[in-house]
Amino acid sequence: MDFFVDSLSSAILLIGSLDPELFEVIGVSLKVSSTSTLIASLVGIPAGFLITFREFRGKALLITVLNTLLALPTVVIGLFVYAFISRRGIFGHLDLLYTQEAMIIGQVILIIPIVTTFTISAVSRIDERYRETALTLGANALQTAWVVFREARFGLVAAVIMAFGRVIAEVGISMMLGGNAKGFTRTMTTAMALEYDKGEFVLSVALGIVLLTVSFALNIIFHYFQGKARV
Amino acid sequence: MLYGLKRLKKIYNHRTVLDIEDLTLEKGHVTGLLGPNGAGKTTLLKILSFILEPSLGEIRFKGKRVDFAGGNLKDLRRKVVLVQQQPILFTSTVANNVAFPLRIRKSEKTERERLVEELLELVGMLSFRDAMAHRLSGGETQRVAIARALACSPEVILMDEPTANVDVENQIVIERIIGEISQKRHISVIFTTHNMIQASRLAEKTISLFEGRVARSTYENIFSGSIEEDEKGDKICMLQGGMKLYLKNGKPGSVRISIDPERINIWREEGDRTSINTFPGRLIQLTDENSRVRALVDVGIMLSVLIPKERLEELDIRVGMKVGVRCPEESIEVF
Repeated sequence: MDFFVDSLSSAILLIGSLDPELFEVIGVSLKVSSTSTLIASLVGIPAGFLITFREFRGKALLITVLNTLLALPTVVIGLFVYAFISRRGIFGHLDLLYTQEAMIIGQVILIIPIVTTFTISAVSRIDERYRETALTLGANALQTAWVVFREARFGLVAAVIMAFGRVIAEVGISMMLGGNAKGFTRTMTTAMALEYDKGEFVLSVALGIVLLTVSFALNIIFHYFQGKARV
Repeated sequence: MLYGLKRLKKIYNHRTVLDIEDLTLEKGHVTGLLGPNGAGKTTLLKILSFILEPSLGEIRFKGKRVDFAGGNLKDLRRKVVLVQQQPILFTSTVANNVAFPLRIRKSEKTERERLVEELLELVGMLSFRDAMAHRLSGGETQRVAIARALACSPEVILMDEPTANVDVENQIVIERIIGEISQKRHISVIFTTHNMIQASRLAEKTISLFEGRVARSTYENIFSGSIEEDEKGDKICMLQGGMKLYLKNGKPGSVRISIDPERINIWREEGDRTSINTFPGRLIQLTDENSRVRALVDVGIMLSVLIPKERLEELDIRVGMKVGVRCPEESIEVF
Protein backbone atom coordinates (compact mmCIF):
# COMPACT_ATOMS: atom_id res chain seq x y z
CA MET A 1 0.00 0.00 0.00
CA ASP A 2 2.89 2.34 0.87
CA PHE A 3 4.29 1.67 -2.55
CA PHE A 4 1.06 2.78 -4.22
CA VAL A 5 0.72 5.89 -2.06
CA ASP A 6 4.39 6.78 -2.76
CA SER A 7 3.89 6.35 -6.51
CA LEU A 8 0.73 8.39 -6.43
CA SER A 9 2.27 11.29 -4.50
CA SER A 10 5.39 11.29 -6.72
CA ALA A 11 3.12 11.23 -9.78
CA ILE A 12 1.16 14.23 -8.56
CA LEU A 13 4.47 16.03 -7.89
CA LEU A 14 5.60 15.13 -11.43
CA ILE A 15 2.43 16.63 -12.92
CA GLY A 16 2.78 19.66 -10.66
CA SER A 17 6.41 20.20 -11.74
CA LEU A 18 5.25 20.36 -15.38
CA ASP A 19 7.74 17.66 -16.35
CA PRO A 20 8.69 18.18 -20.03
CA GLU A 21 8.78 14.47 -20.87
CA LEU A 22 5.33 13.99 -19.41
CA PHE A 23 3.88 16.91 -21.36
CA GLU A 24 5.57 15.84 -24.56
CA VAL A 25 3.81 12.46 -24.31
CA ILE A 26 0.48 14.14 -23.55
CA GLY A 27 1.03 16.47 -26.52
CA VAL A 28 1.63 13.61 -28.96
CA SER A 29 -1.44 11.80 -27.65
CA LEU A 30 -3.71 14.81 -28.05
CA LYS A 31 -2.36 15.72 -31.47
CA VAL A 32 -2.68 12.22 -32.95
CA SER A 33 -6.08 11.56 -31.41
CA SER A 34 -7.51 14.97 -32.40
CA THR A 35 -6.31 14.56 -35.99
CA SER A 36 -7.76 11.09 -36.35
CA THR A 37 -11.04 12.19 -34.75
CA LEU A 38 -11.26 15.14 -37.13
CA ILE A 39 -10.64 13.00 -40.21
CA ALA A 40 -13.05 10.28 -39.05
CA SER A 41 -15.74 12.94 -38.41
CA LEU A 42 -15.30 14.48 -41.85
CA VAL A 43 -15.85 11.03 -43.36
CA GLY A 44 -18.24 9.46 -40.86
CA ILE A 45 -20.79 12.27 -40.41
CA PRO A 46 -21.55 12.72 -44.14
CA ALA A 47 -21.55 8.92 -44.51
CA GLY A 48 -24.09 8.66 -41.69
CA PHE A 49 -26.30 11.26 -43.38
CA LEU A 50 -26.14 9.48 -46.73
CA ILE A 51 -26.91 6.09 -45.21
CA THR A 52 -29.88 7.54 -43.32
CA PHE A 53 -31.49 9.43 -46.19
CA ARG A 54 -30.64 7.34 -49.24
CA GLU A 55 -32.42 4.11 -50.02
CA PHE A 56 -30.17 1.51 -51.59
CA ARG A 57 -29.74 -2.23 -51.77
CA GLY A 58 -27.85 -3.68 -48.85
CA LYS A 59 -28.54 -0.74 -46.54
CA ALA A 60 -29.58 -2.95 -43.63
CA LEU A 61 -26.55 -5.18 -44.21
CA LEU A 62 -24.23 -2.16 -44.24
CA ILE A 63 -25.63 -0.94 -40.91
CA THR A 64 -25.16 -4.41 -39.43
CA VAL A 65 -21.56 -4.49 -40.67
CA LEU A 66 -20.91 -1.04 -39.17
CA ASN A 67 -22.36 -2.16 -35.85
CA THR A 68 -20.11 -5.21 -35.92
CA LEU A 69 -17.09 -3.03 -36.64
CA LEU A 70 -17.78 -1.12 -33.41
CA ALA A 71 -16.21 -4.05 -31.61
CA LEU A 72 -13.17 -4.27 -33.90
CA PRO A 73 -10.08 -5.03 -31.75
CA THR A 74 -7.28 -2.47 -32.09
CA VAL A 75 -4.65 -5.16 -32.55
CA VAL A 76 -6.52 -6.50 -35.59
CA ILE A 77 -6.48 -3.03 -37.16
CA GLY A 78 -2.80 -2.69 -36.20
CA LEU A 79 -1.99 -5.94 -37.96
CA PHE A 80 -4.13 -5.09 -40.98
CA VAL A 81 -2.60 -1.65 -41.53
CA TYR A 82 0.88 -3.04 -40.83
CA ALA A 83 0.39 -5.48 -43.71
CA PHE A 84 -0.13 -2.54 -46.06
CA ILE A 85 2.52 -0.09 -44.86
CA SER A 86 5.37 -2.34 -43.81
CA ARG A 87 8.33 -2.52 -46.17
CA ARG A 88 6.84 -5.52 -47.94
CA GLY A 89 3.35 -4.01 -48.16
CA ILE A 90 1.94 -2.23 -51.22
CA PHE A 91 2.33 1.17 -49.54
CA GLY A 92 5.74 0.26 -48.14
CA HIS A 93 7.52 2.82 -50.31
CA LEU A 94 5.67 5.62 -48.50
CA ASP A 95 7.69 4.82 -45.40
CA LEU A 96 4.76 5.29 -43.08
CA LEU A 97 5.45 2.61 -40.50
CA TYR A 98 6.31 3.93 -37.02
CA THR A 99 5.12 7.46 -37.75
CA GLN A 100 2.26 9.51 -36.34
CA GLU A 101 0.58 9.26 -39.77
CA ALA A 102 0.49 5.48 -39.45
CA MET A 103 -1.15 5.78 -36.03
CA ILE A 104 -3.67 8.23 -37.44
CA ILE A 105 -4.54 5.85 -40.30
CA GLY A 106 -5.17 3.02 -37.85
CA GLN A 107 -7.17 5.20 -35.47
CA VAL A 108 -9.32 6.60 -38.28
CA ILE A 109 -10.22 3.05 -39.30
CA LEU A 110 -11.04 2.29 -35.67
CA ILE A 111 -13.47 5.16 -35.17
CA ILE A 112 -15.14 5.70 -38.56
CA PRO A 113 -17.71 3.02 -37.65
CA ILE A 114 -18.31 4.76 -34.31
CA VAL A 115 -18.86 8.20 -35.84
CA THR A 116 -21.01 6.75 -38.65
CA THR A 117 -23.31 4.61 -36.50
CA PHE A 118 -23.72 7.34 -33.89
CA THR A 119 -24.51 9.82 -36.68
CA ILE A 120 -27.12 7.43 -38.10
CA SER A 121 -28.77 7.09 -34.72
CA ALA A 122 -28.62 10.86 -34.02
CA VAL A 123 -29.98 11.81 -37.45
CA SER A 124 -32.72 9.20 -37.60
CA ARG A 125 -33.98 10.42 -34.22
CA ILE A 126 -34.64 13.80 -35.81
CA ASP A 127 -38.29 14.20 -36.73
CA GLU A 128 -39.01 13.62 -40.45
CA ARG A 129 -40.97 16.88 -40.44
CA TYR A 130 -37.71 18.90 -40.21
CA ARG A 131 -36.67 17.56 -43.60
CA GLU A 132 -40.14 18.04 -45.09
CA THR A 133 -40.37 21.55 -43.66
CA ALA A 134 -37.02 22.57 -45.10
CA LEU A 135 -38.04 21.18 -48.50
CA THR A 136 -41.41 22.91 -48.60
CA LEU A 137 -39.80 26.20 -47.56
CA GLY A 138 -37.70 25.95 -50.71
CA ALA A 139 -34.41 24.55 -49.43
CA ASN A 140 -32.17 22.55 -51.78
CA ALA A 141 -30.65 19.19 -50.80
CA LEU A 142 -27.61 20.74 -49.09
CA GLN A 143 -29.65 23.33 -47.18
CA THR A 144 -32.05 20.58 -46.09
CA ALA A 145 -29.14 18.48 -44.82
CA TRP A 146 -27.87 21.54 -42.95
CA VAL A 147 -31.25 21.96 -41.21
CA VAL A 148 -31.17 18.32 -40.08
CA PHE A 149 -27.49 18.71 -39.09
CA ARG A 150 -28.35 21.69 -36.91
CA GLU A 151 -31.18 19.86 -35.20
CA ALA A 152 -28.99 16.79 -34.66
CA ARG A 153 -25.95 18.80 -33.55
CA PHE A 154 -25.89 17.65 -29.93
CA GLY A 155 -26.12 14.02 -30.96
CA LEU A 156 -23.32 14.58 -33.48
CA VAL A 157 -21.06 16.24 -30.90
CA ALA A 158 -21.69 13.23 -28.69
CA ALA A 159 -20.60 10.95 -31.56
CA VAL A 160 -17.36 12.89 -32.01
CA ILE A 161 -16.57 12.87 -28.28
CA MET A 162 -17.25 9.15 -28.11
CA ALA A 163 -14.78 8.60 -30.97
CA PHE A 164 -12.13 10.80 -29.37
CA GLY A 165 -12.52 8.92 -26.09
CA ARG A 166 -11.94 5.67 -27.93
CA VAL A 167 -8.68 6.74 -29.65
CA ILE A 168 -7.12 8.63 -26.75
CA ALA A 169 -7.37 5.46 -24.64
CA GLU A 170 -6.38 2.83 -27.21
CA VAL A 171 -2.97 1.21 -27.06
CA GLY A 172 -2.84 -1.56 -29.72
CA ILE A 173 -2.72 0.63 -32.81
CA SER A 174 -0.33 3.18 -31.29
CA MET A 175 2.05 0.44 -30.22
CA MET A 176 1.99 -1.64 -33.42
CA LEU A 177 1.97 1.21 -35.96
CA GLY A 178 3.64 3.98 -33.97
CA GLY A 179 6.35 1.93 -32.34
CA ASN A 180 6.48 4.00 -29.13
CA ALA A 181 9.43 6.13 -30.30
CA LYS A 182 10.26 8.71 -27.66
CA GLY A 183 9.37 12.23 -28.70
CA PHE A 184 7.66 11.07 -31.91
CA THR A 185 5.11 8.37 -31.45
CA ARG A 186 5.08 7.82 -27.70
CA THR A 187 1.56 8.41 -26.43
CA MET A 188 0.12 8.30 -22.94
CA THR A 189 -0.97 4.70 -23.29
CA THR A 190 2.19 3.36 -24.91
CA ALA A 191 4.35 5.25 -22.42
CA MET A 192 2.38 3.71 -19.58
CA ALA A 193 2.86 0.22 -21.00
CA LEU A 194 6.59 0.84 -21.38
CA GLU A 195 7.09 2.30 -17.89
CA TYR A 196 5.16 -0.63 -16.49
CA ASP A 197 7.53 -3.02 -18.29
CA LYS A 198 10.51 -1.15 -16.83
CA GLY A 199 9.00 -1.29 -13.36
CA GLU A 200 8.91 2.53 -13.25
CA PHE A 201 5.56 3.36 -11.82
CA VAL A 202 5.77 7.07 -11.17
CA LEU A 203 5.44 8.28 -14.78
CA SER A 204 2.95 5.49 -15.44
CA VAL A 205 0.70 6.55 -12.57
CA ALA A 206 1.03 10.23 -13.53
CA LEU A 207 -0.06 9.44 -17.08
CA GLY A 208 -2.84 7.28 -15.70
CA ILE A 209 -4.10 10.23 -13.69
CA VAL A 210 -4.03 12.50 -16.75
CA LEU A 211 -5.76 9.88 -18.89
CA LEU A 212 -8.45 9.30 -16.32
CA THR A 213 -8.99 13.05 -16.00
CA VAL A 214 -9.33 13.38 -19.77
CA SER A 215 -11.78 10.44 -19.89
CA PHE A 216 -13.74 11.84 -17.00
CA ALA A 217 -13.98 15.27 -18.62
CA LEU A 218 -15.01 13.72 -21.94
CA ASN A 219 -17.67 11.67 -20.21
CA ILE A 220 -19.13 14.74 -18.56
CA ILE A 221 -19.20 16.60 -21.88
CA PHE A 222 -20.63 13.51 -23.64
CA HIS A 223 -23.48 13.19 -21.17
CA TYR A 224 -24.13 16.89 -21.34
CA PHE A 225 -24.60 16.74 -25.12
CA GLN A 226 -26.47 13.42 -25.01
CA GLY A 227 -28.88 15.01 -22.56
CA LYS A 228 -29.27 18.06 -24.81
CA ALA A 229 -29.86 15.81 -27.81
CA ARG A 230 -32.86 14.24 -26.09
CA VAL A 231 -34.62 17.52 -25.35
CA MET B 1 -56.43 25.90 -63.48
CA LEU B 2 -54.02 25.54 -60.61
CA TYR B 3 -53.78 21.80 -60.18
CA GLY B 4 -55.02 19.01 -62.41
CA LEU B 5 -54.84 15.47 -61.11
CA LYS B 6 -55.56 12.42 -63.23
CA ARG B 7 -55.71 8.77 -62.17
CA LEU B 8 -53.45 9.63 -59.28
CA LYS B 9 -52.63 6.90 -56.77
CA LYS B 10 -50.47 6.63 -53.72
CA ILE B 11 -49.76 3.14 -52.51
CA TYR B 12 -48.00 2.30 -49.25
CA ASN B 13 -47.11 -1.34 -48.64
CA HIS B 14 -49.71 -2.59 -51.16
CA ARG B 15 -52.40 -0.41 -49.59
CA THR B 16 -53.92 2.32 -51.72
CA VAL B 17 -54.26 5.38 -49.51
CA LEU B 18 -55.13 7.79 -52.29
CA ASP B 19 -56.98 7.07 -55.51
CA ILE B 20 -58.09 10.16 -57.40
CA GLU B 21 -59.66 9.70 -60.80
CA ASP B 22 -59.91 13.32 -61.86
CA LEU B 23 -59.63 16.46 -59.77
CA THR B 24 -59.15 20.10 -60.67
CA LEU B 25 -58.31 22.83 -58.19
CA GLU B 26 -58.80 26.43 -59.20
CA LYS B 27 -56.53 29.41 -58.69
CA GLY B 28 -57.30 32.21 -56.29
CA HIS B 29 -59.80 30.30 -54.19
CA VAL B 30 -59.94 29.05 -50.67
CA THR B 31 -60.54 25.34 -51.11
CA GLY B 32 -61.45 23.05 -48.24
CA LEU B 33 -60.55 19.37 -48.32
CA LEU B 34 -63.03 17.71 -46.06
CA GLY B 35 -62.84 14.20 -44.75
CA PRO B 36 -62.50 12.04 -41.68
CA ASN B 37 -59.16 10.82 -40.31
CA GLY B 38 -57.45 8.42 -42.70
CA ALA B 39 -59.24 9.82 -45.76
CA GLY B 40 -55.91 10.64 -47.42
CA LYS B 41 -56.03 14.40 -46.86
CA THR B 42 -52.47 14.70 -45.55
CA THR B 43 -51.11 12.44 -48.30
CA LEU B 44 -52.84 14.57 -50.92
CA LEU B 45 -51.42 17.80 -49.46
CA LYS B 46 -47.89 16.33 -49.42
CA ILE B 47 -48.28 15.42 -53.09
CA LEU B 48 -49.68 18.87 -53.92
CA SER B 49 -46.68 20.43 -52.16
CA PHE B 50 -44.32 18.21 -54.22
CA ILE B 51 -42.64 16.62 -51.22
CA LEU B 52 -44.22 13.22 -51.79
CA GLU B 53 -44.19 11.43 -55.11
CA PRO B 54 -47.42 9.75 -56.25
CA SER B 55 -47.13 6.04 -57.05
CA LEU B 56 -49.13 6.34 -60.27
CA GLY B 57 -50.87 8.95 -62.36
CA GLU B 58 -50.37 12.49 -63.43
CA ILE B 59 -50.32 15.82 -61.69
CA ARG B 60 -50.30 19.12 -63.54
CA PHE B 61 -49.42 22.43 -61.94
CA LYS B 62 -50.53 25.52 -63.87
CA GLY B 63 -50.96 23.36 -66.93
CA LYS B 64 -47.52 21.79 -66.85
CA ARG B 65 -46.98 18.17 -65.99
CA VAL B 66 -44.95 17.73 -62.81
CA ASP B 67 -41.93 15.50 -63.25
CA PHE B 68 -41.05 14.10 -59.83
CA ALA B 69 -37.94 12.37 -61.14
CA GLY B 70 -36.63 15.50 -62.85
CA GLY B 71 -34.71 18.34 -61.30
CA ASN B 72 -37.26 21.17 -61.38
CA LEU B 73 -38.97 20.20 -58.11
CA LYS B 74 -37.15 22.89 -56.12
CA ASP B 75 -38.50 25.58 -58.46
CA LEU B 76 -42.02 24.19 -58.07
CA ARG B 77 -41.68 23.90 -54.30
CA ARG B 78 -40.79 27.57 -54.18
CA LYS B 79 -44.24 28.41 -55.52
CA VAL B 80 -46.12 26.18 -53.11
CA VAL B 81 -45.74 25.87 -49.37
CA LEU B 82 -47.16 23.38 -46.90
CA VAL B 83 -47.99 24.10 -43.28
CA GLN B 84 -48.18 20.73 -41.57
CA GLN B 85 -50.79 19.69 -39.06
CA GLN B 86 -48.34 19.87 -36.20
CA PRO B 87 -45.81 22.24 -37.71
CA ILE B 88 -42.26 21.96 -36.56
CA LEU B 89 -40.19 25.06 -35.89
CA PHE B 90 -36.41 24.99 -36.08
CA THR B 91 -34.56 25.14 -32.77
CA SER B 92 -33.90 28.85 -32.91
CA THR B 93 -35.73 32.10 -32.32
CA VAL B 94 -39.15 32.88 -33.77
CA ALA B 95 -37.61 35.58 -35.99
CA ASN B 96 -34.97 33.18 -37.34
CA ASN B 97 -37.67 30.70 -38.24
CA VAL B 98 -39.59 33.25 -40.26
CA ALA B 99 -36.34 34.48 -41.83
CA PHE B 100 -35.32 30.98 -42.98
CA PRO B 101 -37.11 31.03 -46.37
CA LEU B 102 -35.78 34.55 -46.98
CA ARG B 103 -32.22 33.53 -46.12
CA ILE B 104 -32.19 30.59 -48.51
CA ARG B 105 -33.61 32.89 -51.20
CA LYS B 106 -30.69 35.20 -50.45
CA SER B 107 -32.87 38.22 -49.72
CA GLU B 108 -31.16 41.34 -48.49
CA LYS B 109 -30.80 41.80 -44.73
CA THR B 110 -32.82 45.00 -44.27
CA GLU B 111 -35.58 43.70 -46.53
CA ARG B 112 -35.51 40.43 -44.62
CA GLU B 113 -35.91 42.13 -41.27
CA ARG B 114 -38.74 44.28 -42.56
CA LEU B 115 -40.62 41.26 -43.92
CA VAL B 116 -40.12 39.21 -40.75
CA GLU B 117 -41.59 42.07 -38.75
CA GLU B 118 -44.51 42.53 -41.14
CA LEU B 119 -45.38 38.83 -41.18
CA LEU B 120 -45.12 38.41 -37.42
CA GLU B 121 -47.40 41.41 -37.10
CA LEU B 122 -49.90 39.78 -39.49
CA VAL B 123 -50.12 36.66 -37.35
CA GLY B 124 -50.06 38.64 -34.12
CA MET B 125 -46.75 37.22 -32.90
CA LEU B 126 -44.47 40.25 -33.12
CA SER B 127 -43.95 40.39 -29.37
CA PHE B 128 -42.53 36.84 -29.53
CA ARG B 129 -39.89 37.78 -32.11
CA ASP B 130 -36.90 36.90 -29.93
CA ALA B 131 -38.50 33.99 -28.08
CA MET B 132 -37.16 30.47 -28.57
CA ALA B 133 -39.51 28.76 -31.00
CA HIS B 134 -39.75 25.43 -29.17
CA ARG B 135 -41.17 27.12 -26.09
CA LEU B 136 -44.34 28.27 -27.86
CA SER B 137 -47.78 26.72 -27.39
CA GLY B 138 -49.52 24.77 -30.15
CA GLY B 139 -51.53 27.74 -31.41
CA GLU B 140 -48.56 30.10 -31.31
CA THR B 141 -46.44 27.54 -33.16
CA GLN B 142 -49.13 27.26 -35.83
CA ARG B 143 -49.21 31.05 -36.27
CA VAL B 144 -45.42 31.33 -36.57
CA ALA B 145 -45.47 28.46 -39.06
CA ILE B 146 -48.00 30.38 -41.15
CA ALA B 147 -45.82 33.50 -41.04
CA ARG B 148 -42.81 31.40 -42.06
CA ALA B 149 -44.80 29.91 -44.95
CA LEU B 150 -45.83 33.39 -46.10
CA ALA B 151 -42.18 34.45 -46.10
CA CYS B 152 -41.80 32.13 -49.09
CA SER B 153 -44.11 34.52 -51.04
CA PRO B 154 -45.97 31.49 -52.32
CA GLU B 155 -48.63 31.30 -54.99
CA VAL B 156 -50.31 28.51 -53.08
CA ILE B 157 -50.40 27.79 -49.38
CA LEU B 158 -51.46 24.34 -48.26
CA MET B 159 -52.56 23.92 -44.67
CA ASP B 160 -53.11 20.58 -43.01
CA GLU B 161 -55.78 20.83 -40.30
CA PRO B 162 -54.69 24.36 -39.36
CA THR B 163 -56.92 24.53 -36.30
CA ALA B 164 -56.98 20.91 -35.17
CA ASN B 165 -54.51 21.28 -32.33
CA VAL B 166 -55.21 24.79 -31.09
CA ASP B 167 -57.55 26.38 -28.59
CA VAL B 168 -60.63 28.37 -29.57
CA GLU B 169 -58.87 31.73 -29.28
CA ASN B 170 -56.09 30.70 -31.66
CA GLN B 171 -58.64 29.07 -33.94
CA ILE B 172 -60.37 32.40 -34.45
CA VAL B 173 -57.05 34.13 -35.15
CA ILE B 174 -55.99 31.46 -37.64
CA GLU B 175 -59.30 31.59 -39.49
CA ARG B 176 -58.94 35.36 -39.76
CA ILE B 177 -55.40 34.94 -41.12
CA ILE B 178 -56.63 32.46 -43.75
CA GLY B 179 -59.19 35.02 -44.91
CA GLU B 180 -56.56 37.75 -45.09
CA ILE B 181 -54.08 35.62 -47.00
CA SER B 182 -56.64 34.91 -49.65
CA GLN B 183 -58.27 38.34 -49.95
CA LYS B 184 -55.36 40.74 -49.43
CA ARG B 185 -52.45 38.70 -50.67
CA HIS B 186 -54.30 36.79 -53.39
CA ILE B 187 -52.69 33.51 -52.47
CA SER B 188 -54.62 30.34 -53.26
CA VAL B 189 -55.34 28.50 -50.04
CA ILE B 190 -56.05 24.79 -49.81
CA PHE B 191 -56.72 23.49 -46.33
CA THR B 192 -57.89 20.22 -44.87
CA THR B 193 -60.34 19.82 -42.08
CA HIS B 194 -62.66 17.25 -40.62
CA ASN B 195 -64.93 20.03 -39.41
CA MET B 196 -67.77 20.54 -41.87
CA ILE B 197 -68.85 23.81 -40.36
CA GLN B 198 -65.35 25.24 -40.60
CA ALA B 199 -65.06 24.09 -44.21
CA SER B 200 -68.28 25.80 -45.22
CA ARG B 201 -67.40 28.93 -43.25
CA LEU B 202 -63.94 29.42 -44.79
CA ALA B 203 -63.93 27.71 -48.15
CA GLU B 204 -65.45 28.91 -51.38
CA LYS B 205 -65.24 25.36 -52.63
CA THR B 206 -65.23 22.15 -50.66
CA ILE B 207 -63.98 18.79 -51.84
CA SER B 208 -64.76 15.71 -49.82
CA LEU B 209 -62.35 12.86 -49.51
CA PHE B 210 -63.34 9.50 -48.18
CA GLU B 211 -61.05 6.47 -47.95
CA GLY B 212 -58.67 8.02 -50.44
CA ARG B 213 -61.30 8.89 -53.04
CA VAL B 214 -63.02 12.11 -53.95
CA ALA B 215 -66.57 11.70 -52.78
CA ARG B 216 -69.47 12.80 -54.96
CA SER B 217 -71.32 14.44 -52.15
CA THR B 218 -69.97 15.57 -48.85
CA TYR B 219 -69.86 12.34 -46.99
CA GLU B 220 -71.91 13.14 -44.00
CA ASN B 221 -74.31 11.14 -41.96
CA ILE B 222 -72.09 8.09 -42.16
CA PHE B 223 -73.42 5.01 -40.42
CA SER B 224 -72.49 1.37 -40.34
CA GLY B 225 -75.07 -1.34 -40.64
CA SER B 226 -75.90 -4.54 -42.47
CA ILE B 227 -77.97 -5.10 -45.57
CA GLU B 228 -80.60 -7.83 -45.57
CA GLU B 229 -83.28 -8.88 -48.04
CA ASP B 230 -86.85 -9.31 -46.91
CA GLU B 231 -89.34 -11.86 -48.30
CA LYS B 232 -90.39 -9.46 -51.07
CA GLY B 233 -86.79 -9.10 -52.20
CA ASP B 234 -86.49 -5.52 -50.96
CA LYS B 235 -83.13 -4.52 -49.63
CA ILE B 236 -83.13 -3.17 -46.10
CA CYS B 237 -80.19 -1.70 -44.26
CA MET B 238 -80.39 -2.32 -40.54
CA LEU B 239 -78.65 0.45 -38.68
CA GLN B 240 -77.52 0.46 -35.10
CA GLY B 241 -80.40 1.41 -32.87
CA GLY B 242 -82.88 -0.67 -34.84
CA MET B 243 -83.48 1.81 -37.67
CA LYS B 244 -84.47 0.32 -41.01
CA LEU B 245 -83.63 1.99 -44.32
CA TYR B 246 -84.92 0.71 -47.62
CA LEU B 247 -82.29 0.82 -50.36
CA LYS B 248 -82.30 0.67 -54.12
CA ASN B 249 -79.23 -1.48 -54.31
CA GLY B 250 -76.39 -2.94 -52.30
CA LYS B 251 -75.11 -6.41 -51.59
CA PRO B 252 -76.14 -8.18 -48.39
CA GLY B 253 -73.55 -7.97 -45.60
CA SER B 254 -71.92 -5.36 -43.41
CA VAL B 255 -71.73 -1.96 -45.05
CA ARG B 256 -71.31 1.68 -44.38
CA ILE B 257 -73.79 4.13 -45.78
CA SER B 258 -73.92 7.87 -46.10
CA ILE B 259 -77.08 9.93 -46.38
CA ASP B 260 -76.81 13.14 -48.40
CA PRO B 261 -77.92 15.94 -46.06
CA GLU B 262 -79.20 18.02 -48.98
CA ARG B 263 -81.66 15.35 -50.05
CA ILE B 264 -83.25 14.60 -46.72
CA ASN B 265 -86.79 15.98 -46.35
CA ILE B 266 -87.80 17.57 -43.10
CA TRP B 267 -91.15 18.92 -41.81
CA ARG B 268 -92.88 19.94 -38.61
CA GLU B 269 -94.57 17.46 -36.30
CA GLU B 270 -94.08 13.74 -36.30
CA GLY B 271 -93.59 11.91 -39.53
CA ASP B 272 -95.98 9.76 -41.42
CA ARG B 273 -94.98 6.36 -40.06
CA THR B 274 -96.42 4.41 -42.95
CA SER B 275 -94.19 5.69 -45.72
CA ILE B 276 -90.76 4.11 -46.02
CA ASN B 277 -87.53 5.65 -44.65
CA THR B 278 -89.51 8.12 -42.57
CA PHE B 279 -88.65 8.75 -38.96
CA PRO B 280 -89.93 10.95 -36.15
CA GLY B 281 -87.35 13.00 -34.30
CA ARG B 282 -86.52 16.10 -32.39
CA LEU B 283 -84.66 19.14 -33.71
CA ILE B 284 -81.51 19.57 -31.64
CA GLN B 285 -79.58 22.38 -33.35
CA LEU B 286 -79.79 24.89 -36.18
CA THR B 287 -76.60 26.39 -37.62
CA ASP B 288 -76.25 29.15 -40.17
CA GLU B 289 -74.12 28.16 -43.18
CA ASN B 290 -74.03 30.91 -45.79
CA SER B 291 -77.17 30.43 -47.90
CA ARG B 292 -78.26 27.38 -46.00
CA VAL B 293 -79.06 26.17 -42.55
CA ARG B 294 -77.87 22.93 -41.08
CA ALA B 295 -80.36 21.15 -38.89
CA LEU B 296 -79.30 18.43 -36.51
CA VAL B 297 -82.12 15.99 -35.85
CA ASP B 298 -82.17 13.23 -33.26
CA VAL B 299 -84.07 10.30 -34.76
CA GLY B 300 -82.38 7.71 -32.56
CA ILE B 301 -79.23 8.55 -34.48
CA MET B 302 -78.05 12.08 -35.21
CA LEU B 303 -78.94 13.16 -38.72
CA SER B 304 -77.58 16.28 -40.34
CA VAL B 305 -79.99 17.98 -42.77
CA LEU B 306 -79.20 20.95 -45.03
CA ILE B 307 -82.09 23.28 -45.73
CA PRO B 308 -82.12 26.36 -48.02
CA LYS B 309 -82.76 29.50 -45.95
CA GLU B 310 -86.02 30.42 -47.69
CA ARG B 311 -87.31 26.92 -47.07
CA LEU B 312 -86.59 27.27 -43.34
CA GLU B 313 -89.06 30.13 -43.07
CA GLU B 314 -91.77 28.06 -44.71
CA LEU B 315 -91.01 25.17 -42.41
CA ASP B 316 -91.22 27.35 -39.31
CA ILE B 317 -89.24 24.91 -37.16
CA ARG B 318 -87.46 25.74 -33.94
CA VAL B 319 -84.96 23.94 -31.76
CA GLY B 320 -86.66 21.45 -29.45
CA MET B 321 -89.62 20.85 -31.76
CA LYS B 322 -90.82 17.46 -32.92
CA VAL B 323 -90.05 16.98 -36.59
CA GLY B 324 -90.30 14.27 -39.20
CA VAL B 325 -87.58 13.35 -41.68
CA ARG B 326 -87.55 11.18 -44.75
CA CYS B 327 -84.42 9.80 -46.39
CA PRO B 328 -85.30 9.06 -50.04
CA GLU B 329 -83.60 5.99 -51.49
CA GLU B 330 -81.56 8.17 -53.85
CA SER B 331 -80.10 10.08 -50.90
CA ILE B 332 -78.44 6.93 -49.58
CA GLU B 333 -75.08 5.79 -50.83
CA VAL B 334 -73.60 2.44 -49.89
CA PHE B 335 -69.85 1.92 -49.80
